[in-house]
Amino acid sequence: MTTLAQSKNDTVGRLLNPAGRRKRLLVLIRVIALAALTAVALATPGFLSLPSMLSMLTTMSFIGCVAIGMTFITLSGSLMSFALGATLSVTTVVFMASLPLGLAGALLVAFAFSALITALQGFVIGYMRANPIIVSLAAQALIYGFVTFATGGRGIYPEGGETDILKSNLGVIPGPLAAFLLTVLIGQFILSFTRLGRHIIMIGSNRRAAEAAGIEPWHAITAAYAFAGICTAVSAVLMAARYASGDMEHGLGCDYHAISAVLVGGTAIGGGEGSALRTLFGALIIAVVQGVLLLNGFSTQMQYLIVGIIVLAVIALQTLGERR
Amino acid sequence: MLQRVPTELKQGSDHRRTVLDVSGISKTFGAVAALDDVSLHLAAGEVRALCGENGAGKSTLVKILTGVYRPDSGTISVGGQPVTIDDTRHAQELGLAFVSQELSLCPHLSVLDNIWLGSIKVPLLHRRSQFRRQAREALERLGAAHIDLDTPAGTLTIGERQLVEIARMLTRDARVLILDEPSATLSDLEIERIFAALTALKKDGRSIIYITHRLAEVFQICDSVTVLRNGRSIGTHPIASLDRAALIEMMLGRSFEEMYPESSREAGEVALDVKDLVIPGKVTSFSVTVPKGEIVCIAGQVGSGAVDIINALAGLVYDASGTVVVNGRPMALGSAARALNHEIMLISGDRAEEGIFRRLSVFDNLVATRLSSYACGGVLDLGGLRRAARALAKQVGVDAGRLRSPADTLSGGNQQKLAFGRCLDRGPPGILVMNEPTRGIDVGARADIYAIMRKLCARGYAILMTSNDLEEVVGLADTVVTVYRGRQVNVHGRQSLSMHRIVADIGHPLESSTEVQA
Repeated sequence: MTTLAQSKNDTVGRLLNPAGRRKRLLVLIRVIALAALTAVALATPGFLSLPSMLSMLTTMSFIGCVAIGMTFITLSGSLMSFALGATLSVTTVVFMASLPLGLAGALLVAFAFSALITALQGFVIGYMRANPIIVSLAAQALIYGFVTFATGGRGIYPEGGETDILKSNLGVIPGPLAAFLLTVLIGQFILSFTRLGRHIIMIGSNRRAAEAAGIEPWHAITAAYAFAGICTAVSAVLMAARYASGDMEHGLGCDYHAISAVLVGGTAIGGGEGSALRTLFGALIIAVVQGVLLLNGFSTQMQYLIVGIIVLAVIALQTLGERR
Repeated sequence: MLQRVPTELKQGSDHRRTVLDVSGISKTFGAVAALDDVSLHLAAGEVRALCGENGAGKSTLVKILTGVYRPDSGTISVGGQPVTIDDTRHAQELGLAFVSQELSLCPHLSVLDNIWLGSIKVPLLHRRSQFRRQAREALERLGAAHIDLDTPAGTLTIGERQLVEIARMLTRDARVLILDEPSATLSDLEIERIFAALTALKKDGRSIIYITHRLAEVFQICDSVTVLRNGRSIGTHPIASLDRAALIEMMLGRSFEEMYPESSREAGEVALDVKDLVIPGKVTSFSVTVPKGEIVCIAGQVGSGAVDIINALAGLVYDASGTVVVNGRPMALGSAARALNHEIMLISGDRAEEGIFRRLSVFDNLVATRLSSYACGGVLDLGGLRRAARALAKQVGVDAGRLRSPADTLSGGNQQKLAFGRCLDRGPPGILVMNEPTRGIDVGARADIYAIMRKLCARGYAILMTSNDLEEVVGLADTVVTVYRGRQVNVHGRQSLSMHRIVADIGHPLESSTEVQA
């Protein structure tokens, strides 16, 4: 048993030490994975056609906006939220329901509403130090419960085309994609160039040290959640316009994909390390995987399975990278 | 190199089998060599003291023996068999048992359940009575027969819990017990009980590695002592061949004068005035005055409340109360942001937990406390921040070329310099409160940090710090306030300062209670 343990130790040790070699190994694995993905994508018939690309990127954009919001939550050291999907859904409903106020009014209401309900969660998590996962699960249940009670579970399908302007494109670039890229830019600007962004990252990196440096954690955490709400609202109004409806089904499964995009992009699950740009790449990778699977005729369940395996692999790589 | 223990150890049993043979162990973390070619040779029935300053490598050695870390090189033999310790469970199977300061009992489970918890000897289906009997025997062997097997472990005193933990190791046939400062949190009576238990174990032929800062205990119950300094083994000697002075010299290996800069100036006006500081459950009453340009040390054992006092003044303890006046302005406790507004800044020895942002860059760490002064409408002036960071790096002696490197690629000493840099030049000279500022830092960097501290004092900063390292306290402080179990024992000025008096104050305050000041 001793010899077995020893030989195992040696191989593992040679592979993982010293730290520099380990880092190179991780980079190598990532490069190989990306190359393999590109090869499969290029080999898939129909993948390179413009319509299929654009449809893939549009789908990605809805998830992507939520993922940028999720990035802020993860970076602040609050792991992840399972309530952003529900927030997206309820915001489509609120947006459509407030259309009588005019498009601008409805947009304002939708963004404010979404930011408010996520900021409330951020306050509970930051100020009262509640467990972020539990809070998000509770918020999700509350949102679904309340909306189902209020609307009887039916969606809202307004007449008229007031929201059609939100369906327009920027030349060849689909509107949602443009909105997503703008969200990425704003998110990255906040993280890199503002005090708030640095505070969020410092708190995620080491909450107690941030406190000792005179930063009030709950301010930044609440702000991070509010920003997540705003990002989610971007997705919500575009989706509502696209389907011309407000419905609790719109956000289903979107938490899961957003979390996947954040993790695959390489933002540290514990917080303090990551960026909006990384999440952009994460979202892209997941979109390509899904597009390839779809074009090859795999079912939605299969897509979940594959994305799940990818996320697991990424987390395993992250932990390997951190082990002493 | 292998160190041999002379055979003429006192009370030596006639047959000295080797139970543990560690030779040539090295371990580095990043750029820091935590252990460098360390050897340890332990005989059956031997009680070995492991001594050394903080950061000497004691805990790294223990973590290697208990399978938490793996050594980079070197060999370990248990009972003559060379082994590779895979993990903590494997260490237990080999008979290497660790009794930590932070006890690992489950407070809601009974003593009996705690003793057998996680033991590989308990099959799924078992007769409880048999395990009950063995647990009772183990406690009796330790002279702890009075402990009821059915009480929840959480209701026992700390000393009793330690005995239960030792009993747990006995039921697992531990051949070597490693105790990490068992006496630090115990009363005198409880310490005597532990000592009695250790003597019984020794008679049983079990070996003990006893880590302690208290030299008296080394001479009281140990057969031999191994001294580590800066990750190197300085030597192993039978206790009978040593006296206190020789042991201290082995541990320090240098004179005060080389290490500690002179206090250069007369004390200025009062910078910090604390009256009747109370922290429920930890500090009953504490008062101190810190003049500008002085270093005041709070000396006390683990659990004395010294660390809590520092944290409270930094605004990190929410239920602290008391009158605090900073540079003439009264300050309410309980908010770190408020403390920072009053120019009170914390430098912690627990760098990983509350000192630095390990994954963030050197730049981010240096400017962490001054983002607001470089923000316009929330948007940062990155150029200005970078210039500020370069200036700070230069002041504290960190290579400005490494501003972009993550902080945890720096050595412990350089990491601590970042924490100093963060506190400088935010405004007028303020008050630095420090908790073990040189913990885990090697001698060279320590001298640098002491020099920085004195330089700051000369510029009008005031320093209030606590340290377990009494040598540091005596060498550095202008004034020492001693505390014992949350209350103030004594105040010593530079003239009346001596290691002996501080040890007396923080260990047995009743003996010196005649000197207690109001």
